Amino acid sequence: MVNLTIDGRKVEVEEGTTVLKAAEKLGIKIPTLCYFEALTPQGACRLCVVEIVGGARRGLSASCAYVAEEGLEVRTDSKRVIEARKLVIELLLLRCPDVPKLQELAEEIGIDRARYERFKPEEEKCILCGLCVRVCQELMHVGAINFVNRGSSRKVSPPFDEYSSVCVTCGACEVVCPTGAINLDEITKNIPRPIKADFDERLATRPSIYLTFPQAVPKVPVIDRQTCMHFLNDACGACESFCGPKAIKYDQEDEVRELDVGSVILAPGFELTNPSLKDEYGYNRYPNVVTSMEFERILSASGPYQGHIQRPSDQSGPEKVAWIQCVGSRDNSCDKGYCSSVCCMYATKEAIIAKEHSPDIKPTIFYMDIRAHGKGFDQYYERARDDYGVRYIQCQISKIVEKPKSKNLIIAFIDKEGKVVEEEFDLVVLSLGMTPSTSSRELAEKLGIETDSYGFCQTDSLNPVKTSRPGVFVCGSFEAPKDIPETVSQASGSAAFASELISEARGTLICEEEFSPERDISGEEPRIGVFVCHCGINIGGVVDVPAVKEYAKSLPHVAYVDENLYTCSQDTQTKIKEVIKENNLNRVVVASCTPRTHEPLFQKTIREAGLNKYLFEMANIRDQCSWVHMDKKEEATKKAKDLVRMAIAAASYVEPLQEQELSVTKRALVVGGGASGMAAALGLADQGFEVALVEKEKELGGNLRHLHYTLRDDGIQTYMQSLIERVKNHPLILVITDGVIVDFTGFKGNFKTGIMAGPGMAYRQIEHGVTIIATGGEEYKPEEYLYGQDKRVMTQQELEGKIVRDEINLGHVNEVVMIQCVGSRIPERPYCSRLCCSAAIKNALKIKEKNPQSRVFILYRDIRTYGLLEDYYTKARKAGIIFIRYDLEEKPQVKIEKGALQVEVDDPALGERVVLNPQLLVLSSAIVPRENEELATLMKLQRTQEGFFLEAHMKLRPVDLATEGIYLCGLAHSPKPLDESLSQAAAAVSRACTLLAHDTVSVGGMVARVDGEKCAVCLTCVRVCPYDVPFINEEGVAQIDAAKCQGCGSCAAECPGKAIQLQHCEDKQIIAKSIALFKVEAV
Amino acid sequence: MVIGEGKPIKDILFMIENYSKIILAGCRGCVTVCSAGGEKEVGILASALRLARQNEGKEIEIKEVSLERQCDPEYLEEIRSFVDEYEAILSIACGAGVQFLAETYKKTPIYPGINTNFIGVTQEQGVWTERCQSCGNCKLHLTGGICPITRCAKSLLNGPCGGSSDGKCEVNPETDCGWQMIYDRLKELGKLDQMEVIIPINDWTTSRDGGPRKIVREDLKL
Repeated sequence: MVNLTIDGRKVEVEEGTTVLKAAEKLGIKIPTLCYFEALTPQGACRLCVVEIVGGARRGLSASCAYVAEEGLEVRTDSKRVIEARKLVIELLLLRCPDVPKLQELAEEIGIDRARYERFKPEEEKCILCGLCVRVCQELMHVGAINFVNRGSSRKVSPPFDEYSSVCVTCGACEVVCPTGAINLDEITKNIPRPIKADFDERLATRPSIYLTFPQAVPKVPVIDRQTCMHFLNDACGACESFCGPKAIKYDQEDEVRELDVGSVILAPGFELTNPSLKDEYGYNRYPNVVTSMEFERILSASGPYQGHIQRPSDQSGPEKVAWIQCVGSRDNSCDKGYCSSVCCMYATKEAIIAKEHSPDIKPTIFYMDIRAHGKGFDQYYERARDDYGVRYIQCQISKIVEKPKSKNLIIAFIDKEGKVVEEEFDLVVLSLGMTPSTSSRELAEKLGIETDSYGFCQTDSLNPVKTSRPGVFVCGSFEAPKDIPETVSQASGSAAFASELISEARGTLICEEEFSPERDISGEEPRIGVFVCHCGINIGGVVDVPAVKEYAKSLPHVAYVDENLYTCSQDTQTKIKEVIKENNLNRVVVASCTPRTHEPLFQKTIREAGLNKYLFEMANIRDQCSWVHMDKKEEATKKAKDLVRMAIAAASYVEPLQEQELSVTKRALVVGGGASGMAAALGLADQGFEVALVEKEKELGGNLRHLHYTLRDDGIQTYMQSLIERVKNHPLILVITDGVIVDFTGFKGNFKTGIMAGPGMAYRQIEHGVTIIATGGEEYKPEEYLYGQDKRVMTQQELEGKIVRDEINLGHVNEVVMIQCVGSRIPERPYCSRLCCSAAIKNALKIKEKNPQSRVFILYRDIRTYGLLEDYYTKARKAGIIFIRYDLEEKPQVKIEKGALQVEVDDPALGERVVLNPQLLVLSSAIVPRENEELATLMKLQRTQEGFFLEAHMKLRPVDLATEGIYLCGLAHSPKPLDESLSQAAAAVSRACTLLAHDTVSVGGMVARVDGEKCAVCLTCVRVCPYDVPFINEEGVAQIDAAKCQGCGSCAAECPGKAIQLQHCEDKQIIAKSIALFKVEAV
Repeated sequence: MVIGEGKPIKDILFMIENYSKIILAGCRGCVTVCSAGGEKEVGILASALRLARQNEGKEIEIKEVSLERQCDPEYLEEIRSFVDEYEAILSIACGAGVQFLAETYKKTPIYPGINTNFIGVTQEQGVWTERCQSCGNCKLHLTGGICPITRCAKSLLNGPCGGSSDGKCEVNPETDCGWQMIYDRLKELGKLDQMEVIIPINDWTTSRDGGPRKIVREDLKL
């Protein structure tokens, strides 16, 4: 190591370090133009001159090339240095007066105009630093350019002033040039080949070292060996020189690792169908025909056009945009017979977002059936149509024709009157479907699991996540195309099965962390340690970190300050711990990046040093400062000081908070003994947890009692019997039938539920750690279409029962009419019941099977046989079942004519009114939730307007309720078929296990606290709490249980008596922060 | 409870224009519940006044207090020890509280920071409506539990009048007709015959017409 002094400050650096780098370590900035980390310094621009005042060679010298020696004394700020630097800039500016970078430098150093006259008339940008020449030669090993001529005609050029043939168009010269003087077009005629960014659907370019996508896990860059000059030509290697933490490893190779596992989950996802399969739409030929994923990127603010909606051909803003649905879905011509399930909704979403971006856009969606079968989706679709003016046209489009001049696209379609209309669009989006990727097919083959003819993983409807090979489970769109909520829920479901197999080993691989006791800091004055982070150049490159550090030193209560290159590094953690102990610190402030990712790390560090983890504050001087003010360094430094001052002010008031460990009752309560409830109870019991299953009927089974066959399975009743047997005989399951829940208290890990159970209605209380709600739904009893007035009118469920019990002689039934959406998708019940389309097809096929001569008509609004169910829709049409579409405004008319049933409906395909005389009229009736209002009130659970329970997050937490420890599955969540209910029940098991697997839950910390003395019992907190936690206790004041409080702070903000404080975000802390923001202390 | 709402800040600034050191007194009773004069409002009003005065270049010192109830003499004692150090008191309790403070601290000028509006209920979070005019002669047993004095814009004892249309009042089409409500409620109770009973001319001496009122309970007096 070598010791030297720069501007009077001592610094120790490794041998061979240049003075420039040593100064950087001290945070002293020396301007440079020709310095490039990855190249041998040449000292060409002379801007980095410093004065050597003590050492072997005294005088002015270029710091970039001067290697530090022991005892060296350097000044970077002496008058001589400043004068020399001024002269350098003055002369450079004289040569290149129009270069912004030089103008900036001139302004910084205080030159307003050159003292000399310029004789060179032509424009000049090159300062002849030679960086480009060196990069091309030294790094890229190409040598396409060099200096030619001498004296005033010296310049950078390829040999003989001819275009270079050896140039590899890597563009490095352009990148390094400090003054923007290099233009690749002037060097070579070789054509650069920019690397297309796959994440941006190849609409934008990317470098060879890049993040695969912004949310990549782990979030680290990768090197594309196919394009990287280092791997191609053994050249460059610049990234290795730049990377501060030395993370670049060129010799990394793929490793083969062997893992011993007890179960496997396959989640390989999907690929988009290849748009070239539908050549008639002209993708690849017409620039303004884009795929839905490309349009998704076009819409994105981080996408290729920064969120401005442009069409690829001319970057103009499109007005008329069309979406064509079912491209590569529901199409046997390209062997994609299934429905991709998500395209109707994503097209609708894209149309809405496009419209929100530019209100001038007129979106049109060409569709076959709108499949808005998800929870809340129909309402979304209606909003798109009615509020956003998205035009939906039901027509399959056969081709697109481009107008050569405008590149606009012409689509011919059939309008409502049955006429062929041609319409011109500026942009057409192809709504591509999902398909299993080639690699997942290969994976399936390697693992020896079966796939269906499309390549989706084979499962059966009663075991929706089990593959054909025991121990291997599947989830997501490899099982079948599905939307996010079903995917997330199925992922949890597969985790339940995978962990069930290995549940005996639970907890055996855990290493417990041990902490020393916390130091009591009560009565101590705050002694704050402040650590300011450079974050490599992320912060240090913009904010003057040493200045921030010096400033922090001057603030009240600050006992220690330091700066770190990476405060999050392992050695810094060790250092922080030492510093806390040596300086007896009792509060710590880290000024670095975001608490979102790093607060837990620093909290753990200070806890290891014996401080309570809440004695910590963070100032985000990266995301909220250096990153957003890159071009305003001075102001950024000021802002960083403000942020640090605020954090220190708040830190002076933070107090230690205790979290309480409460033991978890390792028992679950499952409410509802239908398919979902029983499956959930069995799942938990098979994981080794006790379960109490409460069913309000006298027998288990629920809706399963009425289900005899599905499209895929015939043995539903056998399945139910075995399910009931297993539930009843499982040693860990307590079955309470004829039971009503009458009271409910507690919180996650510790619930108590009171149940009145028959026959004597005896009261008993169950203690449990988690609750699963599986209260189910039921078929709506219609009031329309003569139901209940004529025996020939029945629901699908009733028909199924009658068929199975042979109560109908199907051989004598010649004509059957089924009406879809009875009680669904109407203003009173605006949702889709999801399973009635397949139920109708299931029963229609059964009728056809028993009596092929019979005529079966299905009157529908949209057929919603999503995913792989579409095959059965195709099968039904092939079997001769006739589908007639009707509108909500033109519902079918049902009456009795001379004793016979008569159904009239307008057939839009024929353009005529059809009169049918069925012997059976079957109503595909809605699914409504079972009576659950009382339970919802008791347990304080939120419900949708329709009365289904409302999950914590529609997409990301589909089986969690807002109250922690309570989960949801089955029809109580929303209408769904049996396989999805079972998959959701497994998901609820999985989520419940995450809590039951722990012996204790930690509660408290950042939660609201009530000062009873100040409480006016005004009920404001009770009303505003989104989690229904506050209540008025026996003492007549508001009480908030720490275990239930989610720490959102709504009550603290609203309390008119100031009786509630949110711990760690108390008024005094926030006020101290605000005062600190506005009262700038002089430094 | 008594419902009030804050006075415009301009009016308050004008009242305390000449003072540089005041007490801002809230009340933990009714006005806390209706978010007009609790500790939170004290804090907000004090900051607003400080900012406004700072802006004018006339800084003001404000002592923020919240008394348990400004309508009970014992609680008014909470500020006795320091009241003389201040030039004025700005109270954001109801009119009763403001007056009671004025009676207690005779030498210190008292100013009201809120308007006292009515005796009413919390219709929902953030919405309060009037229910009682404290006429001193309750007739709710005759009118299905709906007060004709308060809910009828004209305080008619035998209504409705000709200005009732579609259940709304001619005085303000947003207001429900009190007598329509009484009719509906009586109908629901099966007591429509009550509508035929003529309520005699009111004795207003128990109300404001008899001057300020007083209740003496000999059994409770010490």
